[in-house]
Amino acid sequence: MRLPPFLYLAPRTKKEAVEMLSRHRGTVGIVAGGTDMVNRLRQRLVSPAYVMSLKGVEGFRGIEEQRGRLVIAAGTTLREIGESQAISASFFALVEAAGLVAAPSIRSMATIGGNLLQNTRCLFYNQSELVRSAAPTCLKDGGQACSAIKGARRCSSVYQGDMAPVLIAFDAEAVLRKAGGTRRVPVAALFSGDGTHPLTIEEDELLTEIRLPFPRGAFASSYRKLRMRSGLDYPLASSACFLSLSKKGVIDRARLVIGAAGPAPLAVEGGAALLTGVRPEEADPHAAADRAFREAGAIDNLLLPGAYRKKMVKVVARRAVEAALAGLRGA
Amino acid sequence: MEKKTISLSVNGQVFSVSTYVHKTLLEVLREDLGLTGAKESCGEGACGSCTVLLDGLPVRSCLLLAVEAEGRAILTIEGLASGPRLHPIQEAFVEHHAIQCGFCTPGMILTAKALLDDTPHPTEKEIRRALSGNICRCTGYTKIVEAIKAASRGEP
Amino acid sequence: MDELTQIGKGTRRVDAAAKATGEALFTADLSLPRMLVAKVLRSPLAHARILRVDTSKAERLPGVRAVVTSADSTGEKWGVFRYTQDQAFLPADKVRFIGEEVAAVAAVDEDTALEALGLIEVDYEELPAVFTLEESLKPGAILIHERNPGNINVHVKIDVGDVEKGFAGSFYVREDTFTAPEESYFQAEPYAVVARFDSAGNLDIWMPNAGPHLKAKPLSNCLKMALQKVRVRKITIGGAFGGRSEISPADVVCSLLARKAGQPVKLVYTREENSIATRQAHGMVTTIKTGVDREGRVLARDITCHMDGGAYSSTGPIATSVPFLCMEQAYRMENVRYNGFRVFTNKPVKGMYRTHGRAFACGVDLQLDMIGAELGIDPVEMRLRNARQAGDYTPTRSFVPSCAMTETIERTAAAAGWKEKWGKLPPFHGIGIGCNSVQTGFPMGIRGGSTAFIKFNEDGGATVISGVVDNGQGNENMLVQIAAEELGLLPEDIQLVTADTEVTPSDPGSYSMCSTFVGGNAVRLAAKDAKDKLFKIAARVLEAKVEDLVARGRQIFVRGEPERSLAIARAIRMALAKGESIAGEGAYWPKVDPRREWVENPYGQLSETFSFGTTIAEVRVDPETGLVEVLETWASQDVGFALNPKVVEGQFEGGLAMGGQGGMLTEYHMWDGGRLLNPSHAAYSLPLASDMPGINSIIVESHDPTGPYGAKEAAMSVAMSAAQAYVSAVSNALGVPLKEYPLTPDRILAAIEKKAEKGG
Repeated sequence: MRLPPFLYLAPRTKKEAVEMLSRHRGTVGIVAGGTDMVNRLRQRLVSPAYVMSLKGVEGFRGIEEQRGRLVIAAGTTLREIGESQAISASFFALVEAAGLVAAPSIRSMATIGGNLLQNTRCLFYNQSELVRSAAPTCLKDGGQACSAIKGARRCSSVYQGDMAPVLIAFDAEAVLRKAGGTRRVPVAALFSGDGTHPLTIEEDELLTEIRLPFPRGAFASSYRKLRMRSGLDYPLASSACFLSLSKKGVIDRARLVIGAAGPAPLAVEGGAALLTGVRPEEADPHAAADRAFREAGAIDNLLLPGAYRKKMVKVVARRAVEAALAGLRGA
Repeated sequence: MEKKTISLSVNGQVFSVSTYVHKTLLEVLREDLGLTGAKESCGEGACGSCTVLLDGLPVRSCLLLAVEAEGRAILTIEGLASGPRLHPIQEAFVEHHAIQCGFCTPGMILTAKALLDDTPHPTEKEIRRALSGNICRCTGYTKIVEAIKAASRGEP
Repeated sequence: MDELTQIGKGTRRVDAAAKATGEALFTADLSLPRMLVAKVLRSPLAHARILRVDTSKAERLPGVRAVVTSADSTGEKWGVFRYTQDQAFLPADKVRFIGEEVAAVAAVDEDTALEALGLIEVDYEELPAVFTLEESLKPGAILIHERNPGNINVHVKIDVGDVEKGFAGSFYVREDTFTAPEESYFQAEPYAVVARFDSAGNLDIWMPNAGPHLKAKPLSNCLKMALQKVRVRKITIGGAFGGRSEISPADVVCSLLARKAGQPVKLVYTREENSIATRQAHGMVTTIKTGVDREGRVLARDITCHMDGGAYSSTGPIATSVPFLCMEQAYRMENVRYNGFRVFTNKPVKGMYRTHGRAFACGVDLQLDMIGAELGIDPVEMRLRNARQAGDYTPTRSFVPSCAMTETIERTAAAAGWKEKWGKLPPFHGIGIGCNSVQTGFPMGIRGGSTAFIKFNEDGGATVISGVVDNGQGNENMLVQIAAEELGLLPEDIQLVTADTEVTPSDPGSYSMCSTFVGGNAVRLAAKDAKDKLFKIAARVLEAKVEDLVARGRQIFVRGEPERSLAIARAIRMALAKGESIAGEGAYWPKVDPRREWVENPYGQLSETFSFGTTIAEVRVDPETGLVEVLETWASQDVGFALNPKVVEGQFEGGLAMGGQGGMLTEYHMWDGGRLLNPSHAAYSLPLASDMPGINSIIVESHDPTGPYGAKEAAMSVAMSAAQAYVSAVSNALGVPLKEYPLTPDRILAAIEKKAEKGG
């Protein structure tokens, strides 16, 4: 099926890119790896006047160390991330997560920036025109009410990106650049929690870098993803965990994040709190996972019922914590 | 509708193509260059039938705009055999009955090539993982895996 | 019998190399001069009267060459039998499912065609719609077809023996209900059509099909053309699995556009259109009541099955019958009653699917497990005690000439280590078995037989001309192997002209598993005919009796005396030099009872022979997530004789992936009223290479008396027996019989939790 017609922009530098985003503000669809945007174009979920490809932008790929931080350019592919020694050494869960996304040939194209900034998804929304035209326009599509929960005024589309929960667990920052300047926000702040407009990035902003502070001392991280098949699929439940030990052998920093449980990845503060200040042997993964379960939202808008997916949040969160604890023992 | 003239390097040859910018690489290969080996089976980058190698890496040509592929080396299934001589992986697929209807085959073979170029002696698990993005409805994958194992051993 | 040199070998398929290089052309790969691109306008409503269709704006769009609506069609309706013809292509009166074709355009390119679709105006009067069996069968529900009261499309009624008496005399009786929603075929190749009319009014048409001759006649009816002018051409086909035998609206729409535009037209379906606008597999609710004696032998069965058929009949009577027929072939039972109802709903049309009714087949077999559990008899033993035997008559009176069902059960159980495993595995680790049977060639009326021709070249090569079609399963190779064997030539000496209705004689297609048995036999007979003529010549030259001659390795020689030989090429030239034509003709019609009719008279010889098979699966369930890991599988079938063991294995493997792994674990339709929510790969989950278990294929051969070289159909029963084995295994792993399919993780988890609550 042919894509809808558009005008093509191919910036060579980040400066050019943000100038174009400013000039054509609000009418540009960005293609990084193309694995999200091209599908949305083909389904006519969006019909921007311009499509801008980032593939030719100088300096948009690469992983380097900069003063206590690992800096990943937003156009770095998931394959590159999966193969990076530097990332594996300090941010192992990122390698795990990258390797679980879709399929090998998608990972060759998909970028960390694109994966992070993917739109939320829902069985009722992510359809071709043929299927969507047979029902009232849903809330996310610009209509009056939700189709998944008939008549609801809130959108429950799901954020299913694999990289975001892990990046949040590592306290990563996103660098957003526009024609006027740059700002940095915690990755968690990129998400609004509103399914109809899930991202807080502005129309004239470009995500250029992800910056991760290097963890110190003994630490471990993990990512667990649940899906029906052993590949290809988006997560139906997912969780990232980061734990580090103080010199006294007590967990001094814990992060527990869940994905695919609402319109935004969710840092489960209560769960992390339960894991903080205790020795690893005393940590209670079940209790932490229970907190995750309580905060998770899941309805019948993806494969498999919402009630099941909510139960699975607890399972993947517990498994992520257990894996991180095991990692600490080996650290 | 915007058109651009681009230069595509496909199977070692350079083609000058005038194309609408909203056409995918898959569409340009099939419609403008007559290279129909890459197929559209799903239209959403899920099935792998459109797989081509881009600078040696397997990519979904249905998710790439043709204009984005300028300056990259593209390998399609048509570029694998040397005249009448099949590439060893093609030979292995034929010998081991890894082909039934054949629709997924070009994508499958190119994915296998990328795997063996990267990992010359993969385990079965590595093979299946490498193929996890190529969907076959006919074979159940058993003989595809056998063919790739055979090719990795240098056998037909 | 002389030793076989070609048949029975796992030789390379003749079509494989072209597919490996990308040279093989599928319909969407075709390009003809001045070819236009077509797109179809589809109904967004599930049930509505069409009040007005205005195509004037679309027609005026530059680049549009033709637009068609019902006004351009003849109003002919399709259904596999005259009494079920209810589907008009481009309906004039009303639409009956979301996605039904309303109009179509042909334009110079896809962008223009898409734009033109947006300019067609249609006014509908929406009608109430019914989407489920329950809604459709409710008294007072709106009628989808006026002539079908209660929205019942087909009622197949079979009653053999005395079921009530059988139950009365049973030691143990149980009744269970099994359900499964619809599924999709998901052939790798989305449907596509290329059509071209020439100035003499001949139509050349290419499309993926399971029988070109089955397509040509209905096309000639719909287009009001003489059959000889409808030429369905040979093309490489990307899978059928039962969904591409019937004429499709796409075929007619594309032809109408080509005729109107005076240029060739290509219509390529998207994946969604392939899922919504071709055929789907029936959803089913099956209630099975079975009574057994103390030893677990079935004395009586009473089955009621309701099938969601969608908006039109399609192959209704056949689809409603086949799940039952497969069961009655597989297992002995003297008293059986069947009421099969195919019900209309305002949803896409359902056809015949390779896994004929998972809620039927799995129900029958799971119930045998459950009965066995009550009686203390293990599942394998239950199958053995009820297995079909050669020489039996099925309840509806088909004679079974060859049957190695028992051997498939015993060998599969032995290979799987059943005795060491069953009842001895740790919790959440299970093993299960499934058995089934498939017809080999049921009646197709005047298109039930196959005729083949063979011609020779003077340098010793031969060309086989046959209507047999290859959907990917290896039928072309089968013909080459048979012809080479019979003629004494090598495979590389044989050329094929197949599946082209202008050239090839009629053939039933790969529908109903005919190709080997009927098409293969026809080719064998044609080859024999040709060989007899060559033998007459050779007999004279070698001064020997015809019956003492053998053809092998391009030579004709006296049996036992290979030096007394004549090259086949020479024999051919000698014939030609004498002014004798040298060609072969053969025809084969399956010996079925012509009085048998699916609804009116469902008794008598259904097909000439049957295949039988067993699958065993071993699984492990994650009790926290309900996800199933299939550890290993063993699949067997009595194929009569394996013409090419590698090809047969490939069919086992693919059947298991489709019926078992996909069909029972992850594949199912999700609906929002009449909208299919998972028409594409995004949410319809086919098995991946990394999901699949090891598959051990066990070929069993009963040497059918009339199959070519003893061959029957290869592996369709595996799709079903694999589905059954998966259900049996997962149920065993949980210690809970699972009756709602597929076995998605949420269902499995719910069953585990329910059992734990009960203290189990």
